[in-house]
Amino acid sequence: MSEIILNGRKVKVRKGEFLLAVARREGIEIPTLCQHDAVEPAGACRLCLVEVTRPEWEGWSKLVTSCLFPAEDGLIVSTDSAPVHKTRKGILELLMARSPNAVPVRELARQYGIEQCPYPVQHDGDNCILCDICTRVCQNLVTGAISRIDRGVGKRVATPFAEPSTDCVGCLACAKSCPTAAIPYEDEGLRRTIWGKTFEVASCAGCGAPTVTAEQAAWIEQSKGVSREDQLVCDRCKAQKTAAAYQKLAW
Amino acid sequence: MPSTDFAELLEKHPPVEESLIEILHDVQLAHRYLPRPALVAVAAHCAVPLARVMSVATFYKAFSLEPKGEKVLKVCMGTACHVKGASQLLDEAERLLGCKCGETTADGRYTLEEVNCVGACAMAPLVIEDEQYHGKFKPVDMKLLLKAGE
Repeated sequence: MSEIILNGRKVKVRKGEFLLAVARREGIEIPTLCQHDAVEPAGACRLCLVEVTRPEWEGWSKLVTSCLFPAEDGLIVSTDSAPVHKTRKGILELLMARSPNAVPVRELARQYGIEQCPYPVQHDGDNCILCDICTRVCQNLVTGAISRIDRGVGKRVATPFAEPSTDCVGCLACAKSCPTAAIPYEDEGLRRTIWGKTFEVASCAGCGAPTVTAEQAAWIEQSKGVSREDQLVCDRCKAQKTAAAYQKLAW
Repeated sequence: MPSTDFAELLEKHPPVEESLIEILHDVQLAHRYLPRPALVAVAAHCAVPLARVMSVATFYKAFSLEPKGEKVLKVCMGTACHVKGASQLLDEAERLLGCKCGETTADGRYTLEEVNCVGACAMAPLVIEDEQYHGKFKPVDMKLLLKAGE
């Protein structure tokens, strides 16, 4: 078992743990936008910066992204030192210039006391902060229908050739996992449109509520082995069925 | 472009994700761009989603989704070349080729590009034609270089 000093306090850490996970376990708040429990950390938003040092560094320290930095024995970590605060504020100012309408960005900017963004603000800017959660979720958990296209200032998230994707199953995982609600979709009754593709949503065999798209059902059946019949029952009906079964057992 | 064109090329690489960049390099070399059917074929060969291929193909400058000219003429715009008057070289190239930087001539013979430094600053200003480096380049040399290529 290794030990680190986290904000002046000795904390035991497991091998291979990242600093962010340790800090959260210890109840220390570190802001993040690109962290999502369903996928591996990516270090995309840079907001989780912390300052690390070691006694043998003779006063030198460095800023690292805590989501990707291993908690090694003897590390001295400060999660809210002056350099951390200043750099984090700088990152937030850049995010504010890019996506001033994104709610979590505004909220964090307010917390960090940003009243006036020092950079030219794109008032009608895209809410997408390129945190990469949607593409990581899609590639690792679903079919990989979207990815980052181009690089630098032109970088964006899109389907191949910005056309309706044959890989997309319309599961909405990308839109639902987006921290800034940057992925538009329409979900009206049994029709769903996302990334320019329209899907028919099957209705629940029990109550008629929308469940999954046909593409999604086929993909889940093929990759996870869950039969289509089981998927065509909504969560509510499933819960009722389970409750009824338990009731029978209890009596 | 029939997909059979790529079959031979794909066979040389193991069907794993790690082959992706190598294959794209080969396609770019053979076709001077990455045709859409090739991207689809590569995705199938490497068993990765097309979106993954797209992110790699659009990330690296070495790849192009538009056909490039028979020759690629690059003008270095790095600091040393800039000081030595690289912008005049680019102007001259644009004038002689009749296309803007980043474009390909109508006859498809040349693609004109700027690069930000090729690490040969002692030879500034530099013009690179395909893989050939021409150092201490003067605007008058552009005409000779393009003529020699005809």
